[in-house]
Amino acid sequence: MISKSDLSDGDLLRSMLAGDEEALALLYRRRQAAVYRFALQMSGSKPIAEDVTQEVFLFLMRDGHVFDPARGSLSAFLFGVARNHVLRRLRVEQLLAPLGDDPDEDLPSLHATSDFCPLEDLTRTETIESVRKAVLSLPPKYREVVVLCELQDVSYVETAEILGCAIGTVRSRLHRARALLLEKLRPAAEVEETNATTVKSARCFA
Amino acid sequence: MNDEEKLTHGLKALKAEMETLAAPAEVEVKLLRAFRTRHVVTPIVPKRSNSRFWLTAALAAMLLIAISVVAYRVNRGVDDRRNVAKEEQPKISPKVDNKPVSHEQLAGIEAPEPLPQAPKPKHIRHANVRRPENMQLANHVNTEIATDFIPLSYMSAANLQDGGQIVRVELPRSALAKFGLPVNMDRYNEKVKADVLFGVDGLAHAIRFVQ
Repeated sequence: MISKSDLSDGDLLRSMLAGDEEALALLYRRRQAAVYRFALQMSGSKPIAEDVTQEVFLFLMRDGHVFDPARGSLSAFLFGVARNHVLRRLRVEQLLAPLGDDPDEDLPSLHATSDFCPLEDLTRTETIESVRKAVLSLPPKYREVVVLCELQDVSYVETAEILGCAIGTVRSRLHRARALLLEKLRPAAEVEETNATTVKSARCFA
Repeated sequence: MNDEEKLTHGLKALKAEMETLAAPAEVEVKLLRAFRTRHVVTPIVPKRSNSRFWLTAALAAMLLIAISVVAYRVNRGVDDRRNVAKEEQPKISPKVDNKPVSHEQLAGIEAPEPLPQAPKPKHIRHANVRRPENMQLANHVNTEIATDFIPLSYMSAANLQDGGQIVRVELPRSALAKFGLPVNMDRYNEKVKADVLFGVDGLAHAIRFVQ
């Protein structure tokens, strides 16, 4: 006999829409983490990520019948809904953000614990922090591609479905996003050196 | 390690760092609460058996059939009796001998016995008289609904004694209004059927409207 946990997402969704609470719980436990992480990586805010996760599953409860399995997986569908909610929230937050607000205030602590080498751990944490900040500083259309393809391991095809664009667009956006990230992650010393060289050159030519 | 590799490494590290993150448990609690609110559990009421309904329907149908059969038989019986009566109708015109009767003959007859009275012919309704099958009256079609005959202004009872003739005509719907009948304005342009009763004098004496 097949237990409910072995059922596919589509079957669980159907059961949920028919009023099966257990199906909702199973579906939520199966998919909530990805949705939550996506929202968190996109917004950099825990409360927004929580709200978006809740909104996504409320939408599924209310309008789950609009999901068409022929058009893609339920996972992609949920990412699409989450993306819409995140972008909407970001627009609102942008309008309402008070001056001097620290965007990193809500970010979860990413300080990993290491038993071996505190220095190495520190370096690793610093790297993660800098990458996270660089990702968050990307324009949304590049950020979402990086989050989906690099951080969520979503295929290009599914990413194209989620974003509603061609695979080629996904590839080119990802390429551009990586280039932007490289620029942002270039070591500060190197940047300073470049600036200094420029200044020197300027002086020489002056 | 070049920049690209460093970036890939950094992204992987970030991914691994966030791998364990998940929405807090309170979100699930809120969702399940919302789900229960949306899907209010209604106690399952046992369905009322349809057998009672069908039993009632069957009884009603049987009753209807029985009434129809009885009505049909009664009707048929009445028709049969009428037919029998028609067949048994005596000839009420006995032959009269016109020969002159002599006095002797009259003397021989003492007291004339009262003749057995001829049986009184049963009254036969004219309605029972069959009309030729091909004869159709204006109101012959059962589906038609007709008003009563409305006398026209110059009608007098004496003129109808000799009979008359009914002629089916079509009139503009406005004619209904002239006789004080309601007019359906949606069908104002359509014509309305009417039976006009003509007397022997050739004048129209009454009219009735047919639908």
